[in-house]
Amino acid sequence: MSDRVNDLAFYQDLADLMNAHPDQYETLGEVDFTLGVLMAAEGGNDLRLRLRFEDLGCADVSPLSEGGEASCDCWLEGDTDSWGEMFDDITTNGRATGRRTINSLTLVGDRIDVRGDDPMGVDKFFRFNQTIQQFFDGAAQLAPSSA
Amino acid sequence: MALATDESVHELPEMTPMGNPLDWSWLRGTRAEWGMNPVPSRRGLTMMDIATGTYGEVLEEPPYRSMAPRGADIDEDTPDMGYILNHKSQVWADNVVELYEEAVARQWSSTRDIPWNELQELPSDIEHAMCQLCTVLTEIEMIATDLPAKWMWRMNHHFVEAKMFLATQIMDEARHADVFRKRALANGGGLLLSGSGDESLLRSILEAKTYTQASALLHLLGEGFILDVFRQGELIAPTHVEKKIFRLSMQDEARHVAYGTMHIRQAIAGDPDVADEIHEALDHGEQFLIEFGTSPVLSSALAILLGGGSEHIEDKGFPMQSLLATKIFTSYLARCERAGLNRIDRTDLPLELLGIDIDAFDRTGV
Ligand SMILES: [Fe+2]
Ligand SMILES: [Fe+2]
Repeated sequence: MSDRVNDLAFYQDLADLMNAHPDQYETLGEVDFTLGVLMAAEGGNDLRLRLRFEDLGCADVSPLSEGGEASCDCWLEGDTDSWGEMFDDITTNGRATGRRTINSLTLVGDRIDVRGDDPMGVDKFFRFNQTIQQFFDGAAQLAPSSA
Repeated sequence: MALATDESVHELPEMTPMGNPLDWSWLRGTRAEWGMNPVPSRRGLTMMDIATGTYGEVLEEPPYRSMAPRGADIDEDTPDMGYILNHKSQVWADNVVELYEEAVARQWSSTRDIPWNELQELPSDIEHAMCQLCTVLTEIEMIATDLPAKWMWRMNHHFVEAKMFLATQIMDEARHADVFRKRALANGGGLLLSGSGDESLLRSILEAKTYTQASALLHLLGEGFILDVFRQGELIAPTHVEKKIFRLSMQDEARHVAYGTMHIRQAIAGDPDVADEIHEALDHGEQFLIEFGTSPVLSSALAILLGGGSEHIEDKGFPMQSLLATKIFTSYLARCERAGLNRIDRTDLPLELLGIDIDAFDRTGV
């Protein structure tokens, strides 16, 4: 799964999965949150994307221009290896475990950092955290073995 | 004007069969706005959707101190209920209506949503540390229930959405007390030590002289700290069961902090002199928080959990604790800035000791 980590289409697949199963997000409740993801990769294969969560779905997955993260509530900044480890863990265990949940990975901020121009926007990452984790955990269902 | 045009309204009885007088004025027309047709949003009919016309006009200083609903045609001689928080800036926050809807939508159940039967037997020191942390958390969660309850009945009913939001906070805190009590008992352990050192902070919150001081101490300072403890909670959680407990609690806590930050901002914008009283409260509160956060009971339990066991207290537990303390206080100071409160130049917090570089602090990032 980590081979798709810096592929925008992978996040669109996750969004499609979420949008196909609003029932799985219903008990978590509606969301209003725009999250940026800035992923640095060796060799210049960086990925910058914007995930727009609305109600019980992911309404938009789009590339983020240089500096475009300022239009997000907050953004996650880290290297592809850290993201890849999270998705590999999700694929192996069905969900992120141990210190590879997105909340744990961003806690210390050494590998993936949660950043923002406004503390209120950053706090949205915490307000909607379970939904965001469940969105990423969808990778387990996209894995070839479970297709 | 609400007005029924049917002829039958003119032939209505003036008394009940028991001889009690009847008032049909509400049927013949009132000064309240009528014919509202709010359009439900995709998620349903929200409080934002119905905040139209006079129903959505939250006055700075409402003329009545009654329980009358905002937007109704209120009797001139409606009784004074003795509310003492009658100015918008004393209770309101720009995000409070949205936060209320968010809270309602994101309620969860500690009974149903936590996979209790997947708890695993843990090494004794870890189980003890988790139970000790749960003991402390259960204790402080109920303070966060008591505080809004103490002030809500003194708030003018005109600010109904703020009261509704605080009602959700009370429910959230009850659920937190509930879930940590359950966790303490659910895995072969129990509640442990309720230390005497926790009192100063909790008492200062409960005994604050004004609601805004109390809100600064609870929502901004205390809950900002607890929000970060919950974040750490997920990192230190021995299994996915505890992870889910902390993560769901963290979502609730972040709402409380979001309200408090914007309430303080509104309070200062409404009356700049209020900043002084908030500063005074936080001068004391921050010292109490340091006492609380470094209390021998709480910090020893956290050191074991962060280290992953008593054998790693010094090489992993303590270093991680101080790293996280830096983040906790950086986030707090950034929220203060967002609230319009410059604590950086005033605080007595040992910033250097906490590893916070004031020069690098840009007052926006966290
Ligand atoms: Fe709480
Ligand atoms: Fe709270």
